[in-house]
Amino acid sequence: MFPPGANTDAIKTTSYKAVLPFYAYAALSFLVATVLMLFSAGQFSGHYFQPHTLAITHIMALGWGTMIILGASHQLVPVIIEGKLHSERLAYASFALAALGIPLLVRGFFIFDMGGPAQWGGILVVLAIGVYFVNLGLSIAKSKTENIQAIYIFTATAWLLLTSILGLALLYNFSIPLFSKDSLHYLPLHAHLGIIGWFLLLIIGVGSKLIPMFLISKYSHTKLIWWIYVCINTALLSYIFLFYFSNNTTLLLLPVIVLFAGIALFAKYIYQAIRERLRRQIDDPMKISISAVLMMGIPILLLILAIGLLSFIAKANMSLILAYGFLIFFGWLTAIILGMTFKTLPFIVWNKVYHRRSAMGKTPTPKDLFNHTIFKFMGIIYIAGLLVFTIGILSHFVLLLKIGAALLVIAAFLYNINVFKIITHQPVEK
Amino acid sequence: MSATTNDNSKSEVALAALEQVIDPEIGLNIVDLGLIYQIDFDEKENKLYCTMTLTTHFCPMGESIVFSVQEALQTTFPDYEILVHLTFDPPWSHERISEKGKAFLNQ
Repeated sequence: MFPPGANTDAIKTTSYKAVLPFYAYAALSFLVATVLMLFSAGQFSGHYFQPHTLAITHIMALGWGTMIILGASHQLVPVIIEGKLHSERLAYASFALAALGIPLLVRGFFIFDMGGPAQWGGILVVLAIGVYFVNLGLSIAKSKTENIQAIYIFTATAWLLLTSILGLALLYNFSIPLFSKDSLHYLPLHAHLGIIGWFLLLIIGVGSKLIPMFLISKYSHTKLIWWIYVCINTALLSYIFLFYFSNNTTLLLLPVIVLFAGIALFAKYIYQAIRERLRRQIDDPMKISISAVLMMGIPILLLILAIGLLSFIAKANMSLILAYGFLIFFGWLTAIILGMTFKTLPFIVWNKVYHRRSAMGKTPTPKDLFNHTIFKFMGIIYIAGLLVFTIGILSHFVLLLKIGAALLVIAAFLYNINVFKIITHQPVEK
Repeated sequence: MSATTNDNSKSEVALAALEQVIDPEIGLNIVDLGLIYQIDFDEKENKLYCTMTLTTHFCPMGESIVFSVQEALQTTFPDYEILVHLTFDPPWSHERISEKGKAFLNQ
């Protein structure tokens, strides 16, 4: 019972204070990454192993993708595991460690100095992920309900921890020979552990709960979600096996096909959720998030093409690999974040500002907290930038790369305007 | 109305008050959304018991919705002590949405 004025601890969700710094950091990282890309556009017409490309990739993977996912998950994990977050202090610790570590690491890549500061940056990032992993594990252990989505999140975080430890070892491998081969050799392994193990697994796990929830869909199919889990992990484990024990590039198609099957099953799941939805209207943030599900398929097709061309046309192949990486970080991952930010952040801030001011129509709704015209322009400019830059990579045309990057800078700027408009929102009575 | 009550006229008034509480994400009032399970009046003790649920555990909007329920009932029944009981047994499901609610969502 909640008597008058009583606290509502039993339903209290994670404090906004533990969540908002992640969103702000991620938004700024996205802007920084696009600005760096504008000034390093020329590097996207050659090999992917370039200092600036590595720096931008890590800003996107850690500063943008991982930070916003960590922030959102501190809020969403209680919804998914039906239990409280173990510790908000650990959430602050995780943020502080990552916020310090990422710039040190990125600076190291940018000037190609893998010495002390970059190594410290790597250590801090590993610690930040370790702290999050412990916090998540203890939260799940305390929760009374077991569900597939919790298993997805836990497995994805374990893959992230492994990715970051391997990344740190690769960083040290530049100065101390830890591995038998140079770090460049292990880069595809490090990248795919992060992309598939962390981002893909986590986004599918969380998306399988949130997308039907936001659509108010009657559709539910736990068995199918399990099959997707099996496909993705099998693809990743078999890729690791082939990486170490086979030199046959064509065999790499096997994990790619299994992965594609997993993604196709997820697309089927989302399609059914859309068909069986009770809510007819799909808002713009949801449309972007749903289109990101389809975007998952494009990098896979490029990968199949790259594997097919591997021994034939070296330069064309490099472009395909660059386009593959670009479309993962700036395409699929960014699209889902651009959409989901505006399905989560306004609610977190609305709850902070209005939770004691009642939801009786006297206050603005969460959707009123951001500018929808700016959101629409951001969406259009983002898609234009993505297309132009991809064509630039594939055609080696630097001017197109610069135009594409400039459009992405504008999209990131508009995104930041809306994010900070939400974060700094002050109470207004309607 | 989906809620069961022990005093029809007063419960109707309570439900009408709760129809003013809107789920901020969905835009639908919480009565038609099916969040209100039961309303009981204890006339001897001047108490109003409201048993309700949320669409999910630890719903980010949960605290605000519960607070709004409390406020709406207190404003309508100032002489009563309002006691909101939150339960997830049974959990909320789509079947609880009223026909009016379904029509709203289908717009």
